[in-house]
Amino acid sequence: MSEFDAIVVGGGPAGASAAIKLAQNNMNVLLVERGDPPGSKNVSGGVLWGTGLGELSDDWEKTAPLERYLESKSVAFLTEKSKINIDFSTKNFEEQKTGYTVLRAKLDPWLVKKAREAGAMVVTGVTVDRLSKKDGKVVGVIQDGDEITADAVILAEGANPRVAIDSGLREPLKDHDVAIGVKEVIKLPEKTINERFNLRGKAGYACEYVLGFLKDGVEAGGFLYTNKDSISIGAVISMKHLRQSNQVYSFDIMEEFASHPFIAPLLEEGRVDEYSAHLVQEGGLSSIPKLYGDGYMIAGDAAGFSFSNGLVLQGMNYAISSGISAAEALVEAKQKSDFSSASLSRYQQKLEESYVMKDMRTFKGIENVTWSKMIHKTFPSMLENVMMGLFKEEGKPKKHMMQLVLDSMSSSKIKSKDMLLQGYRMLRRM
Amino acid sequence: MVLDIIVMIKQVPDAEEIFIDPVKFTLNRSQARGVINPADENALEAALMIKDKTPAKITVITMGPPAAESALLECMGRGADRGILITDRAFAAADTYATSLTLAAAVKKIGRFDLILAGESTTDSGTGHVGPGVAEFMQADQVTYSTSVKIEGDTIIAERELEHGIEVVQTPMPALVTMLINANIPRRSSLRRRIDAMRKGIETMDHESLGLPPEWVGIKGSPTIVGSLKIPEEKKRLNKTITLEEIPEMVKELIENKAIVLGDDEDA
Ligand SMILES: Cc1cc2nc3c(=O)[nH]c(=O)nc-3n(C[C@H](O)[C@H](O)[C@H](O)COP(=O)(O)OP(=O)(O)OC[C@H]3O[C@@H](n4cnc5c(N)ncnc54)[C@H](O)[C@@H]3O)c2cc1C
Ligand SMILES: Cc1cc2nc3c(=O)[nH]c(=O)nc-3n(C[C@H](O)[C@H](O)[C@H](O)COP(=O)(O)OP(=O)(O)OC[C@H]3O[C@@H](n4cnc5c(N)ncnc54)[C@H](O)[C@@H]3O)c2cc1C
Repeated sequence: MSEFDAIVVGGGPAGASAAIKLAQNNMNVLLVERGDPPGSKNVSGGVLWGTGLGELSDDWEKTAPLERYLESKSVAFLTEKSKINIDFSTKNFEEQKTGYTVLRAKLDPWLVKKAREAGAMVVTGVTVDRLSKKDGKVVGVIQDGDEITADAVILAEGANPRVAIDSGLREPLKDHDVAIGVKEVIKLPEKTINERFNLRGKAGYACEYVLGFLKDGVEAGGFLYTNKDSISIGAVISMKHLRQSNQVYSFDIMEEFASHPFIAPLLEEGRVDEYSAHLVQEGGLSSIPKLYGDGYMIAGDAAGFSFSNGLVLQGMNYAISSGISAAEALVEAKQKSDFSSASLSRYQQKLEESYVMKDMRTFKGIENVTWSKMIHKTFPSMLENVMMGLFKEEGKPKKHMMQLVLDSMSSSKIKSKDMLLQGYRMLRRM
Repeated sequence: MVLDIIVMIKQVPDAEEIFIDPVKFTLNRSQARGVINPADENALEAALMIKDKTPAKITVITMGPPAAESALLECMGRGADRGILITDRAFAAADTYATSLTLAAAVKKIGRFDLILAGESTTDSGTGHVGPGVAEFMQADQVTYSTSVKIEGDTIIAERELEHGIEVVQTPMPALVTMLINANIPRRSSLRRRIDAMRKGIETMDHESLGLPPEWVGIKGSPTIVGSLKIPEEKKRLNKTITLEEIPEMVKELIENKAIVLGDDEDA
C-alpha cells in the first residue's frame, strides 16, 4: 500500500492545479514545494492567458489575485533611437476574458491555498531530491534519505527539471531549449500607471519588444506589463547568444532596455520592488519529452509546454491545463487501480485533445523564426529607415514607400526573394 | 535516561518585509509573513545537536496567534517531537512579564524538564527579557548569551560570548540557556518529518488549561506602560571622494573632530 495516491513535485501553476484537481476528486495527495512561501522561486512576465483558473475554482474572478484585465496589447521594435509600435486595443478582451496580468508572489500562494482547502497535504520549504523507483516503476520520492511512497508522481518542477533529468525521464537541457528571463517589478501609484498608459479602472496594457539595439549579435526580447500598482518589465535573452559572446550579461541587457529613451519615462519615479531571473522554456515541440511512464507524469514547463512567438509568451496557461489533465488521468487510473504506463497514457490523449498539444504542433519550429537575425537585427533597422524616409523633409523629391523598402533592403544587403521567403515562413509558423 | 528539552520559539514578522510608515511612525507588517525568530532557530538547533548525541525528547512551545502553528510544524519537521501552541484571546498584548509568566505556566503543565532553550532576543521587540523571566519563575539556573551547549552527566556546559572573550559555564540541570543569533547553522526540515508532524498535529493550551486567571495574562497582567515611541533620526553621512594625496589631511581632520580617537586600549 502506498502512503499517498499521488505526490506532486512543485507548487507552481502546473503542480498546484494538479493537486487541486486531485484533492477535489478525493484523492489523497501530497504537494511538495521547495519555495516558502510558494511563488518565492518563480518568475513570469506575466500575462495569464485564458480562463484556466475557472476549471479550478468557481470564485476565481473574485478571489484570484488578478492585477488587471488586458485591454491593450502592443508589439514594438526598438532601435537605438526609435520605437516602431503596433498597438491593438479592444473591448473584446475584457468581454471574452482573454488575459490578466498576475504577480507570481500572489498567484502561487493563492493556488496552493486552494489545494490545501481542497484537502491536499501541502509541504513548503522542502526540495524533493529524486524519485524512488522499483522494478523500473516510479513508486514515490526520496527526500533527505527517506522514501515517501505514492501510486503515482506528477513532476511539475518547472523549466529546470532536475528530478526528471536526474531520473533519466528527460534529456538534459540544451542551450537551444532555453532562454534567460530577467525581470523587475517597479512600484508606482495606480493613478500614475493609469495616466502613463491611458488606462481606466482595472484595464491593463501589455507590450512585447524586439530589442533591436543590442550589439554583438545578441538577440533578446523585452516585455512590459501593467499591474494594479506596479509595472512588470523584463528581458528574455537567448542562451545561445549569451554563451557565444561571453562579454554580454543578461542584467546589462535588462539595464539597457529599462534605460532606453522610450522605456525610461514609463518607469520614472518607480521603486524596484522585485528583481528576479529564471529560465524560459523555448524548445518547442522538439524538446517535449515522453510525458508519462509507469507511475509518473510530467506537466507544465518541466514537460516543455511553453510557447513564445514574439507577440506573446505563454506558459502558465499550459501549465494549468496540463496539470489538470494529469490529475484527471490519475483519477481514472485510480478507479482502475492501474498506474502503469498504458493506463497513464490517458494523460497524453487528453493533452492531444486539448489545446495544449495542438498549439505545440501548430507552432512547431516557431523558435527558429523568433530567434533569428532577420527579426532581431535586420527588420528593426529596416523599419526605422523606411519610417525616417517617409517623414523626413529634405527639400528633395520624396519616394514611394515601396521604393523606400527596396532601398532599405538593398542597404541591408537583403534580396527581395529572401525577404519574401522569410516573411512567408514567419507567417506560416506564427 | 531520556532528556526532556523544551524550546521556546516566537513567530516574528519577516524583517525584510516590514516597512515603517513615514507619516504615522507605525510598523506596517501587513505584507510580512511570519517566520521563526532567528535566534530561536539557533536554540532549536542547539537542542537537536544534543539529541543527535543523547536520547532526548524535544518539546517546542510558542505563545502566539493560531497562525503560529506553521512555525511549530517547521520545528517538528527539523526534528522536534512535540509542538504546543499557547493561544488565547486573553493573552493578547502581553508584555514581557505576562509572556514569561504564561510560558512558565506552560512549562509547569508539561511537567518535568532538564533543559529549556530560548533565543537571546527577538527581532521584533528584542527585549531579551523572556528567557531570564521564565528561568526566574521556574527557579532554574540560567545561562545567557550562549553560542553552544553540551551535556555532561547531570550538568550542562555552555559557552557564553562576552565582549572580552568566551566564558565557559557549567551548571546542574534543570537549567535554562538563551542562545545567540548565528550560534550554529540550523538544519532544514525533512519531508518525512513534516508529513508526520502534520498527521500528529500540534497541541494547544489556553488560560484555562494553564490554570491562569484572566487578570494575570495578556494586557491585564502586563505592568508595562508604553510612554511614547520614537524613530531615531537618520545620521547624515558625508559622502566624499578623495584622492590618495588627500588622505593624511582627511585623517588629521577626523582626529581633530574626534571622529577618530587615539588610545592604547583596543576596546576603548
Ligand atoms: C521572464 C519570464 C516571463 C514569462 N512570462 C509569461 C507570461 O507573461 N505568461 C505566461 O503564461 N507565461 C510566462 N512565462 C512562463 C511561465 O512562467 C511558465 O511557463 C510557468 O511558470 C510554468 O509553470 P510550472 O508550474 O510548470 O513551473 P514553475 O512555475 O516554474 O513552478 C515549478 C515549481 O516547482 C518547484 N520545484 C522545482 N523543483 C522542485 C523540487 N525538487 N522539489 C520541490 N519543489 C520543486 C519550484 O520552486 C516551483 O515553484 C514567463 C517565464 C519567464 C521566466
Ligand atoms: C516598549 C514595548 C512595548 C510593547 N507593547 C506591546 C503591546 O502594546 N502589545 C503587544 O502585543 N506587545 C507589545 N510589546 C511586545 C511584547 O512585550 C513582546 O512581544 C513579548 O513580551 C516578548 O518579548 P520580546 O519579543 O522582547 O522577547 P525577548 O525577551 O527578546 O525574547 C527572548 C526569547 O524568549 C522566547 N520568547 C519570547 N516571546 C515568546 C513567545 N511569545 N512564545 C514563546 N517564546 C517566546 C524566545 O525564545 C525569544 O527568543 C511591547 C514591547 C516593548 C519593548
